[in-house]
Amino acid sequence: MFYHVSLEHEILLHPRYFGPNLLNIVKQKLFTEVEGTCTGKYGFVIAVTSIDNIGAGLIQPSRGFVVYPIKYTAIVFRPFKGEVLDAVVIQVNKVGLFTEIGPLNCFISRHSIPADMEFDPSSNPPCYKTKDEDIVIQEEDEIRLKIVGTRVDAKDIFAIGTLMDDYLGLSS
Amino acid sequence: MSDSEDENFSGNESDKAVSDDGDASDKNSGGGGSPRGSDQESDKGNESDKNEDSDAESQGRAVDDEAEESDGKEDEKDGDSEEPEGEDLGDEDDYDDEEDEEEEHRARKKKKKGALGFIIQEADVDDDDEEDDVEWEEGAEEIIDRKSTYDTSEREIESHQRLRHMWEIQREDEIEEYYRTKFGDASTADRYGEGEEMQDEITQQGRLPGVKDPNLWVVKCRMGEEMATVIHLMRKMITYQLTEEPLQIMSVVCKEGLKGYIYIEAFKQTHVKQAIEGIGNLRMGYYKQQMVPIREMTDVLKVVKETATLKPKSWVRLKRGVFKEDLAQVDVVYPSQNEVWLKLIPRIDYTRPRGVMRNNTSYQEQKKRRRRPPQKLFDVEGIRAIGGEIASDGDFLVFEGNRYDSKGFLFKGFAMSAIIAEGIKPTLAELEKFEDQPEGIQVELVPEKQASDIAHTYAPGDRVMVAEGELQHLPGKVIKVDGNKITILPRHEVLKDPLEFPYYELRKFFKMGDHVKVIGGRYEGDTGLIVRVEDNVIVLFSDITMHELKVLPKDVQLCADMATGVDSLGQYQFGDLVMLDPQTVGVIVRLEKENFQVLSMHNKVVGVKPQSITRKKDTRNAVSLDSENNNVQVRDIVNVIEGPHSGRSGEIKHLYRNFAFLNSRLMTENGGYFVCRTRHLTLAGGGKQTSVKAMGGFAPMSPRISSPAHPSGGGESPSRGQGGAGRGGGGGGGMSRRDREIIGQTVRIIQGSFKGYIGIVKDATESTARVELHSSCKTISVDRSRLSTRTGPKPSGGQTSTYGGRTPSYGGQTPMYGGSRTPLYGSQTPLHDGSRTPHYGGMTPSHESGGRTPSGGASAWDPSNTPSRNNDFDYYNSPSPADFGANTPNPATPGYHGDSPHGPFTPQTPGSAYSPYPAPSPGGFDVASPGYVGTPNPGMSSPSPASFSGSPSPMGYSPMTPGAPFTPQTPGAAMETNLTDWHTTDIVVRVRPSYENDQLIHQEGVIKSISGGMCTVYLTNEEKMINITCDHLEPVPPEKGDRAKVIAGDNREATGAIISTDGDDHVLKLDNMEQEPIVMLPVQFLCKMAD
Repeated sequence: MFYHVSLEHEILLHPRYFGPNLLNIVKQKLFTEVEGTCTGKYGFVIAVTSIDNIGAGLIQPSRGFVVYPIKYTAIVFRPFKGEVLDAVVIQVNKVGLFTEIGPLNCFISRHSIPADMEFDPSSNPPCYKTKDEDIVIQEEDEIRLKIVGTRVDAKDIFAIGTLMDDYLGLSS
Repeated sequence: MSDSEDENFSGNESDKAVSDDGDASDKNSGGGGSPRGSDQESDKGNESDKNEDSDAESQGRAVDDEAEESDGKEDEKDGDSEEPEGEDLGDEDDYDDEEDEEEEHRARKKKKKGALGFIIQEADVDDDDEEDDVEWEEGAEEIIDRKSTYDTSEREIESHQRLRHMWEIQREDEIEEYYRTKFGDASTADRYGEGEEMQDEITQQGRLPGVKDPNLWVVKCRMGEEMATVIHLMRKMITYQLTEEPLQIMSVVCKEGLKGYIYIEAFKQTHVKQAIEGIGNLRMGYYKQQMVPIREMTDVLKVVKETATLKPKSWVRLKRGVFKEDLAQVDVVYPSQNEVWLKLIPRIDYTRPRGVMRNNTSYQEQKKRRRRPPQKLFDVEGIRAIGGEIASDGDFLVFEGNRYDSKGFLFKGFAMSAIIAEGIKPTLAELEKFEDQPEGIQVELVPEKQASDIAHTYAPGDRVMVAEGELQHLPGKVIKVDGNKITILPRHEVLKDPLEFPYYELRKFFKMGDHVKVIGGRYEGDTGLIVRVEDNVIVLFSDITMHELKVLPKDVQLCADMATGVDSLGQYQFGDLVMLDPQTVGVIVRLEKENFQVLSMHNKVVGVKPQSITRKKDTRNAVSLDSENNNVQVRDIVNVIEGPHSGRSGEIKHLYRNFAFLNSRLMTENGGYFVCRTRHLTLAGGGKQTSVKAMGGFAPMSPRISSPAHPSGGGESPSRGQGGAGRGGGGGGGMSRRDREIIGQTVRIIQGSFKGYIGIVKDATESTARVELHSSCKTISVDRSRLSTRTGPKPSGGQTSTYGGRTPSYGGQTPMYGGSRTPLYGSQTPLHDGSRTPHYGGMTPSHESGGRTPSGGASAWDPSNTPSRNNDFDYYNSPSPADFGANTPNPATPGYHGDSPHGPFTPQTPGSAYSPYPAPSPGGFDVASPGYVGTPNPGMSSPSPASFSGSPSPMGYSPMTPGAPFTPQTPGAAMETNLTDWHTTDIVVRVRPSYENDQLIHQEGVIKSISGGMCTVYLTNEEKMINITCDHLEPVPPEKGDRAKVIAGDNREATGAIISTDGDDHVLKLDNMEQEPIVMLPVQFLCKMAD
């Protein structure tokens, strides 16, 4: 799920950047440091929408670096158990499907793929398909899945999904 | 009566009890030893009549004997009916009979009955069975225990017997009475002498001991002698019964499970003391007897529900009989019938003939041979051989009433009392006997740690579900674990209170998507997300290995902290590079309990024990080359372009020789690890492309070689290019642009373990520098960012010193720089002040003499420190051949180092001869053969000054040019410089004057073959072959019209004809060159070819 939240971050700036462009550099640095990262609590930071406040920079004793506390708002993506999402299949193998939901990796176990779909290792690329080949899921297909579990690490989130529900599977 | 009933009841509850008739003894003590029973008789009156029959048959009880007295006839009958059973039971008590032989019949009978009643072999589980029934059952059980077991329940058997017995004696009124006692409410009430509609529970409550009842005393007893002591006490009781001072204790109890103690029931401690006085086994308990608090008295004799722990597939041992001590496996448990079916290995005596053949042996022999037959699986043939008859019943074979399965195991029912179920530890040998069957796997799993107190892995917070009983399927959460009792908080609308369960009634409960940790079994320590939950297996998707793991629910625990699951076993971690054997390395791709899965460099996954792995390899600094000769190292992202993993990409985790262990998230096997040859890789995106380029196939394995200081870098390194250009341009400011050149500078290391050290940069790349330390004899690699130039921006003088520091290296390089260098020198000359000049001068001879003594003045070390200098020379020398010829990456051209007297330096100066080549392109460096020109043109000294003429300070060079270097410089000497590589076959050479055989000097010959530093030369004039070291030869320059071979430069080995000559340039028409058939080459690049 996407949220628009206020967040804080501290930027450590080398003295060489001190100059007329300083604040721009601070902003740039914020974008590079924050966007695309992931925290367990808020999930993936997708984009910084606005910088609300750049605090007073504090020179670090004996280093010369400056720390700027920054308040900003950003769009974050936090997956939840039970959420239904669209994903892109990245890899197909006998264990299941590896998919990406934007920055989030999601694994769908073979056990969570409807039983009528079988893995076909011989086709190229390998795919899961029904007997009548009505539905074929292969790499780069878009599918709709439901998240059944997440593993939240400090720097990453990993999810496992299922296709065993109504309206899940190949989204066309 | 009510008293005696109470007594009976307590007897019922007891495990093993020797109980005197409390009533009687009470009265005896009061009545001064009057014969027992007489007054009771009058008390009981006609009641005895009704009860006698049933009482008589209930052998497990202390019985009122008065009934027998009242009716002689009945007594007889009673005796008849009872006698056989009594005999049956009386094994242990026979001596009683013997002892009291002379006593009259009545007395004897009474005693015997008393004895029978005294020993209550079995106590029933404390349940709410109807009173009468229990009494019956006790008796019946005795019989059944001793007989073989029936398929039908004991209860049935027992009731059959009872009925049969009643019908036999044909007394309607008795039968009626029996049923009335059994089923009639009124009679029950009568018996207890209490109000009607007495609730069972309340009656039970009423029977609980109170303050008026006798107390229980715990008495210490010799271990293992408890039962014997109880019997001993009983005998004492009997003996003293009719004396002046009978024992005043009520009963003696020993508990099966309680070792070293017996209980004595008495009103006063003195009574206890009196009873135990003089009994050896109780000597230690004589001084101290502890009273059991009234409240705990019931607990003393409470029978724990033993059957609870008896589960199918668990192991038990037999207590007695032919199978005593044998291991057996529980097949089915019938708790209600107190029976358990066991699977065990039969002990059949195959030596004893059966059936028809039985007659042959005498009874005596049979008796003798009553040893215990050995354990052996049922052998149909064996049985037939001894005449046994085997029937079949379904899947089972039946022999002598016992059932055997097809594997030969005996299936037999036993009474619960006949087995030991606790603390059974089957030995391996025993298990093996059970294991030769498909169930074996199961068997192995089953032995639970019954010995340990806690056989489960529940922890507070676990989600559980009730697995059996009335509350089955009730979900809940564990809130407390107390030993094997688990308190759960049910999740239910109505049930809100915590409930307590034994652990085995619960099972863990997980949902898909839970993040769990494996806490037992093979995958212990792994964590993962649950992708599937089946009845008794859970499929996990491991976090680390990306494997699916199948685990038992009991081995899994919710992992609250959602850790990624560290995985380390001892000093090893997931993903470590370890040595499998001295030649093989591998990466740990999975950690199991006491086991690793290692992906070896041959792409095989092997399971190894930690002990068999030698050590971790540190590959942080390893560098290798990919297919495009990019340096690749650990943490680089690479694409695989060949081999089995072609098309993948991954991060290099480890490098070992030319194997790279890559990790890719997309790989599911082996935790994403796979192994490739580095030659099958390409660096992705050129992320860390180094400045090293392939140089004619010479693969630099060391970053040092790519150092800008290094000549072989040629024009590749920017600094070199700059420097070259600067110098080549002859501009006086050439040096000023070399600000990135820190070689030779004195630097201070400002970070790291060598912080504070000062040294001289001997070599540098953009990122690292080799620093020769002042303080210790060491050259170390240091990150450039960790260096600070000690001297700061230097004046030109300072730079000069830098240059001086480099001099030795230039000396080494000279041969390659050749002509193109010269302008450099020229341009630099102005920098050399007077003080430098002697320095150069001082060096020159040293080079010439071949010694290395004179080191660059700027060396951190004493100039006499030859070894260090030596190193530098080695270092700089070695690559030079590479430059000379692309095909000879091997620097060890024999003789080059050793016998080149380093004339290079000297002839180089005259190399001003090269001034004709105006373009000092770096490429030109490669082909420098400075001396060569000297040969045809001995007057080279003249160009030299010419070259220097422009220099503002000819003085600076004067010591050098005319000095030692130049004077001795014969053309031959000059030749030595490029000894290394020009030799090739089929060229015409001339023997130089240095050759020891004067006869052959200046002879011409053709090189036929070369091996090492020796050439085989066919001397045309002498018409003979000689072997001669390469350095004694010089090439013969071709004339116009000659065939010539290129002996240096890009087109080396090419052949062609000289079309024309233009000064020192020859125009050569090459034989096999399509693109550039005609080239212009300096004469020193060419050699005449043999006709």
